[in-house]
Amino acid sequence: MDIRKIKKLIEMIEKSGIAELEVKEGEESIRISRYSAAPAPAAYAPQIAPAISGTTIAQLSAPAEEAVSGHVVKSPMVGTFYRSASPGTKVFVEVGQTVQAGDTLCIIEAMKILNQIESDASGTIKQILVDNAEPVEYGQPLFIIE
Amino acid sequence: MAISEKQKKILSLLADGGFHSGTELAKHLGVSRSAIWKQLAGLAELGLPHAAVSGKGYRLETPLELLAESAITAALEPRLRPLLQRLEIHDQIDSTSAHLGKQAQLGAPSGTVCFAEHQTAGKGRRGRQWASPFGSNLYLSILWRFQYGYASTSGLSLALGVAVIRALQQQQIHPVGLKWPNDIISAGKKLGGILVEVSGESEGPCAVVIGLGLNLYLPDAAAQGITQAWTDVSKVKPGHSISRNQFAASVLNHLLAVLADFETLGMRHYLDEWRRHDCLQGQAATLFIAEQPYPGIVQGIDENGLLLLQHPDGKTQAFASGEISFSRACP
Repeated sequence: MDIRKIKKLIEMIEKSGIAELEVKEGEESIRISRYSAAPAPAAYAPQIAPAISGTTIAQLSAPAEEAVSGHVVKSPMVGTFYRSASPGTKVFVEVGQTVQAGDTLCIIEAMKILNQIESDASGTIKQILVDNAEPVEYGQPLFIIE
Repeated sequence: MAISEKQKKILSLLADGGFHSGTELAKHLGVSRSAIWKQLAGLAELGLPHAAVSGKGYRLETPLELLAESAITAALEPRLRPLLQRLEIHDQIDSTSAHLGKQAQLGAPSGTVCFAEHQTAGKGRRGRQWASPFGSNLYLSILWRFQYGYASTSGLSLALGVAVIRALQQQQIHPVGLKWPNDIISAGKKLGGILVEVSGESEGPCAVVIGLGLNLYLPDAAAQGITQAWTDVSKVKPGHSISRNQFAASVLNHLLAVLADFETLGMRHYLDEWRRHDCLQGQAATLFIAEQPYPGIVQGIDENGLLLLQHPDGKTQAFASGEISFSRACP
């Protein structure tokens, strides 16, 4: 199945509030569950979480970190992270701000190519995980949108 | 300040670099001689100084060749002409790249090209200004659409630097070289700059706007705000007569040729050529990432176009971004 289709499905689940979705397409099938993204205290849920099959949102979005709720926007490249179009101008987004899918969140500069990074989800900016002008790695979480 | 229709008329008469009397100019425009004088004063403010000699009249201090669509397209290679979907030439604009960025959102086609005689807000990297006086240099932007997301544009900036070097060589301008990733350098001074801006889906179709500023003749008065060592073609090759339209077409030919093939060939195709023109290879330099300095020795670029910098402890690290400051460069 196309990775982009899977991404779209995950976004749909996040927006809808449904717990689990299974899609069959010919001989391929995928099941996406959001159980582990629920804010249940980890100590109370050790027996439940491993039993869930399929890909969970938390595993997809923040593999090395503790489970976070919300959509994680990751860096599509290695480069330098900028929160505004140029020094001294207004930042693209602040924590607490509402964004639509397609809105510019930041710029990542790589080899003097200034890449405008658009939000791939709509919601509220919950966290900005990188400081302005910091280097970022491929796949590094940049924003959490809820 | 916008250039008026009257000023354009005067410029078209003065463009030959010869003397024209106030009476003659006034007659052509149907205005008084003092009105002509006022218009000329306005042009001087735009960076087009004139000489006034009693008994002879007025002439521009430097002959002027305004950009003309017919002259540019006529000099394009026939095989590349179909790639040019739209050609705009503006007397004045805020920034050719800002303009094409807006046009991209409105659905302008891949292969839209915008030239300007004068930019009121010509821009460089991270909010820097690009000195853009009227009628004397080249300022152009190209909109190009890529199908396969940001990863497919990786290294494009270096390949475009190679394209501009090819154009300069074709115009017999040398020595010229590249400073990572794509500054055009001659004798250690900046001759041109390329800024690439990408918007769209990071894994899908995206719009790339390439901006190029190339100094052909930069009057000192217009260069006062520039904070780094600069040069222009008239200094690199004194006495060389330049046709701006020829130059524009040459640059466009080479940029379009690289863009046409980049998604297939990728930057590796341009690695060797880039390395041949690397003017910092083996030089001591400092890379700045934001305010943080990383001193070292430049060891060229790796397979992906990243800058290789050897730290004082002997270890070499690859960098994806940052700005190099150097004291010595070749050529």
